[in-house]
Amino acid sequence: MGTGSALMSVVSPFLESIAPFVPGETFPHYFSGLFQNALVASVLVTIVAGFLGSFLLVRNLSLIGDGLAHVSFGGICVGIVLGSSSPLWFALVFSTIAAILIFEMQRVEILTGDASIAIFLTGFLAFGLLVLRLSGGGISIDVEGYLFGSVNLTSEKDLDLIVYISVVSIISLSLIQNGLLAVTIDPLAATVQGIPARGLGLFFSVITAAVVVSMVQVVGTLLVTALLVTPAATSQLVGKSFRSCLIWTQVFGLTSVIIGIYLSAEMVAPTGSMIAVVAASIFAVVGIYQSLVIPLLKPGDN
Amino acid sequence: MSEKYSEDSILTIRNLSVSRSGEEVLESISIDIRRGEFVGLVGPNGSGKTTLLLAILGILRPMGGEVLVFGHVPACKHNLGMVGWVPQAATQLPKNIHITVRELIRLGTLNQDNFLWRLMTPDIRERIDRSLEMVGLTEMADADLSSLSGGQLQRAVIGRALASDSEFILLDEPLVGVDRASRNSLLRLLDDLCHNHGKTILMVSHDLAAVTQTTHRIIYLEGGIQYDGPTEELPELSELANLRGIEHVHSVHGEWHKGGK
Repeated sequence: MGTGSALMSVVSPFLESIAPFVPGETFPHYFSGLFQNALVASVLVTIVAGFLGSFLLVRNLSLIGDGLAHVSFGGICVGIVLGSSSPLWFALVFSTIAAILIFEMQRVEILTGDASIAIFLTGFLAFGLLVLRLSGGGISIDVEGYLFGSVNLTSEKDLDLIVYISVVSIISLSLIQNGLLAVTIDPLAATVQGIPARGLGLFFSVITAAVVVSMVQVVGTLLVTALLVTPAATSQLVGKSFRSCLIWTQVFGLTSVIIGIYLSAEMVAPTGSMIAVVAASIFAVVGIYQSLVIPLLKPGDN
Repeated sequence: MSEKYSEDSILTIRNLSVSRSGEEVLESISIDIRRGEFVGLVGPNGSGKTTLLLAILGILRPMGGEVLVFGHVPACKHNLGMVGWVPQAATQLPKNIHITVRELIRLGTLNQDNFLWRLMTPDIRERIDRSLEMVGLTEMADADLSSLSGGQLQRAVIGRALASDSEFILLDEPLVGVDRASRNSLLRLLDDLCHNHGKTILMVSHDLAAVTQTTHRIIYLEGGIQYDGPTEELPELSELANLRGIEHVHSVHGEWHKGGK
């Protein structure tokens, strides 16, 4: 019934057909059968996160991914206590509210971005943990799964949510990208041109919240920032235009996810952490290449 | 539409008062700008130059009086997109972003109707190319903004305003961070826009020498309008200094407002 199964019915035969050519012992299982959901979910989330992260980076909002991830963890606790079968929806509501409030507090200049993100991060997370504890010891929550990522456990239902949010946010971001870039670069000029800066900012906050929630399942709250910011940051090292940065972000993001999943499968290591380490390593390699190797090759240029 | 509006009237300000954080920055200011004028707005820091610009843009609401842009209140549907805004490029643009000159100028073609879904029509492409050419950056179209000099950066931002096809261009301190050689060519560009491309320009600057070099008309703002008239009749700088603190009474073109009693 869900969007996830619909997508899988299209993608699955393709993945199975390339599975025999995939290296490794465990890694092919991500293409045929067992961990297909996991692979599709990771790739989708990476594409969306890269797109979104390119804007977050230039809006100096890198921290909001991490903040909203923790807020959504609070939402998951509340959802579990209330007996929800899909606590992810609670996470979605919590982080959307937080994202809008953070945006509004920044806009009316009550607090700077950092401080308002920190307040919501700690407030909602603590609230969720308190609710969980006060509801009576019977309920336990797999905190580690959410903090460090459990992409391999992506269920049909989770995949439905991720596919839905990915499709909606990719379409939305494609539509608003020009206006959002104009607002990001120069809010006043954009307003004067007739672009609704506040509306776009609010809408962007809501998309950000939705994307962060869908990511919690894949890389875990601690690693949300990795996929949101690291590929986009790496692209800044090589890109020459905004468009080329968007493309490089996808290249670095997808490379990180594929290599990360491969290494974690073969080494039996946590997937989310591995993806984050790979993404950071790519950043380091590209950074070193750009700042050390290229000047050596072109000594006359500086 | 107001009865004071005539075809030629680009900006009409009547008895405008504007407060910012409870303090009255502008008190009963009146200005008229007609089509084709190149007006320099000068005055010391804190004299309300920026406040006046923000009121014209519709960002700040008047406490009293009125502002009419093309005969209508600022930023309403009748004049939205008809004003081009050129901020001080050196300080206003974010540093942590890679964006080419062409990409920046392209953003100028966005408006309230097409910001969600804009196809690259030949018309838009032509507008971008024309803007690039007008600001003399055709060769640098694919260069990253961070690789530009202060003067080139300011030209790129002017190009963005031109791409919107707006007839009335507001510039806030366009000469800050621009070296002397580029300063002159930038002023020539503005002169060209006014004389050969039919733009009406209001330029805020604290660089009186630059303003007198190009504009037709100067408005000197300090505790109200101290002078509003032809550039060539502007008194000496020393006289300007002497006038500080004198209250203004009324706006009479070409004459110093001998205020006070």
